[in-house]
Amino acid sequence: MENLVQTALNNVNMWAIMPSIILVCFAMGLLLINAFLPRGATKPAMWISLIGLAVTAFSVISGWGSPQYGFSDAVALDNFATFFNVTFLIAAAMTILMSDDYIRREGYPIGEYYPLILFTTAGAMWMASGTDMMTIFLGLEVMSISLYVLAGFFRGDVRSNEAGLKYFLLGAFSTGFLLYGIALIYGVTGSTRLSEIGVFLNAHPSLLSNPMTLAGIMLLSIGFLFKIAAAPFHMWTPDVYEGAPTPITAFMSAGPKAAAFAAFLRIMEYCFFSLKPEWTAVLWALAVLTMIIGNVIAISQTNVKRMLAYSSIAHAGYALVGMVAANEIGYSAILFYMLAYTFMNIGAFAILVLAGKKGEENLTLEGLSGFGYKRPLLGVAFTICLFSLMGIPPTAGFAGKFYIFAGAVKAGYIWLAIIGVLNSAVSLYYYLRVMVYMYFREAEEDYSWVKVPVSVVVSIVIALVGIFYLGIIPGAVMDLARLAIF
Amino acid sequence: MASILFYILAFVLLAATLLCVTCRNPVHAVIYLVKGFFALALMFYLLGAPLIAAWEVIVYVGAIMVLFLFIIMVLELAPREQPQGPGWKRWVPGLMLAAAVIFCSLLIIFQDPSAASGNPAHFVGPRAFGEALFGRFGLAVEVVSFQLLFAAVGAYYLGRYQPREQDKEETS
Repeated sequence: MENLVQTALNNVNMWAIMPSIILVCFAMGLLLINAFLPRGATKPAMWISLIGLAVTAFSVISGWGSPQYGFSDAVALDNFATFFNVTFLIAAAMTILMSDDYIRREGYPIGEYYPLILFTTAGAMWMASGTDMMTIFLGLEVMSISLYVLAGFFRGDVRSNEAGLKYFLLGAFSTGFLLYGIALIYGVTGSTRLSEIGVFLNAHPSLLSNPMTLAGIMLLSIGFLFKIAAAPFHMWTPDVYEGAPTPITAFMSAGPKAAAFAAFLRIMEYCFFSLKPEWTAVLWALAVLTMIIGNVIAISQTNVKRMLAYSSIAHAGYALVGMVAANEIGYSAILFYMLAYTFMNIGAFAILVLAGKKGEENLTLEGLSGFGYKRPLLGVAFTICLFSLMGIPPTAGFAGKFYIFAGAVKAGYIWLAIIGVLNSAVSLYYYLRVMVYMYFREAEEDYSWVKVPVSVVVSIVIALVGIFYLGIIPGAVMDLARLAIF
Repeated sequence: MASILFYILAFVLLAATLLCVTCRNPVHAVIYLVKGFFALALMFYLLGAPLIAAWEVIVYVGAIMVLFLFIIMVLELAPREQPQGPGWKRWVPGLMLAAAVIFCSLLIIFQDPSAASGNPAHFVGPRAFGEALFGRFGLAVEVVSFQLLFAAVGAYYLGRYQPREQDKEETS
């Protein structure tokens, strides 16, 4: 008995999950503290969660370059996980910064909001660092369940309820696919460890054409493609993004999407590298479909939040291009792109939060008329975020797209790169239209814009700094991304 | 014989779950679900995991079913009126499935397929199970416990009674 406990403890290595442990401890502490705060006091919770994120960030960054493997190889805090963890933490911090005023304004100053965001981030971290199907699956569940609640956080708002319920039902359905895929792969290989699955499949080439393996990979991919919001599994995205509280929409489009990419990338690369030509061919078609559907449908949207939802589908398509390329540049470009997308998309949503009128959200294109003159600085910031989303130099979006398409060209997918660039051109239309409304339309006369709180401004400044840093000197971060891939 | 048993049980499981989701009466649905769980437990036994089989019966058939029935009774979901049509349509499928499960259980008890060749190839005892659970899948156990906590927090928030509209009116 002694012996067993010893061997079990030897394999644990808490350092491998230290960041997520810290984050979860802060979240649980916050739940406790909330119980003693007066109702409606969310400022302390915001500060504590920001401190928690900062401490976690320190723990994550100090682990760069010294990979930790724990729980007999169920989790690996390697550079890959570290890079993604930093992305999640930035996304969470920016989301929290822009939330406080918003949830107060909308009438839900409730303490559970911040712990749930921290939980979601912890789940995302488990997904990115998991090297076992079980860890990744449970990380996904932790992340999703917290997100379902956050999407439906405005309980008195029908749209928010709809978003929460829709996300929950479809998410549970897609999780079923993922679990079925994991079960089939386990049936074929007899293991849930990613590296063991890869070695086993490579050693038994006859299994590679086994219908059970292929069905497993297919179902597994569906589970992740749903979370990424790739076509044809994107149907939930517009409704959920539109209905969820705006900061949560921002977070959902950056953090969880990056987490799903991290886990998907790791599984495909660790387990199914022997089948690379096959799955890249499938992803080729999906990437094209995702880009086209996202961009084309975004054109006809009049609600900016919904438009950004479709644009987020399109951006998932661009990132999938990097996965199709399946080479060093392609993979590291995904990491880079997810970080860049975090800055530009959350930045755009932060400004959208401030575009609200008193007492109601203001999300239509018409409602943004004259925004650029009433709030000149915010207008310029919004313009910069949108330019970055379009992929105009010298912004992060341009650098990200450049690396993605460079990877595709280097891998020989010239047509894919051309389709991607054409899609970017299509996207100019609907992003520019927002600017047309902002600058070339008269504002309503009696228009009471909300006041601009400092914390949201901090969030926007972080976004702008990130956009320009990644856009002007992309090499520094790109080098880190190169070190981070396998 | 084990493979024949497996196919019988698989058929019972599929039929029971299908009837469970198509059945209009929630109490009947729960009964079908229980039959499915029984068949699943026997399948676990055939696969060489008697411990899981026992837990399946104790936890799912015992506890979860009681919970389901309890909730159905509390919410008064069961239909009040007797549905029209011949009575045998309602109880014959359930009886047949139950008979199949009982038949398989008796067969396993009196002529254990694993007894013929000693233990099955992958016989897992409680010790090996515990070792795997807290060694190889230790992190999964940790994460599941966190997950349950988070889910409870979320469910508590969404289910909490809070008259939001009135609050707003009072403040404004």
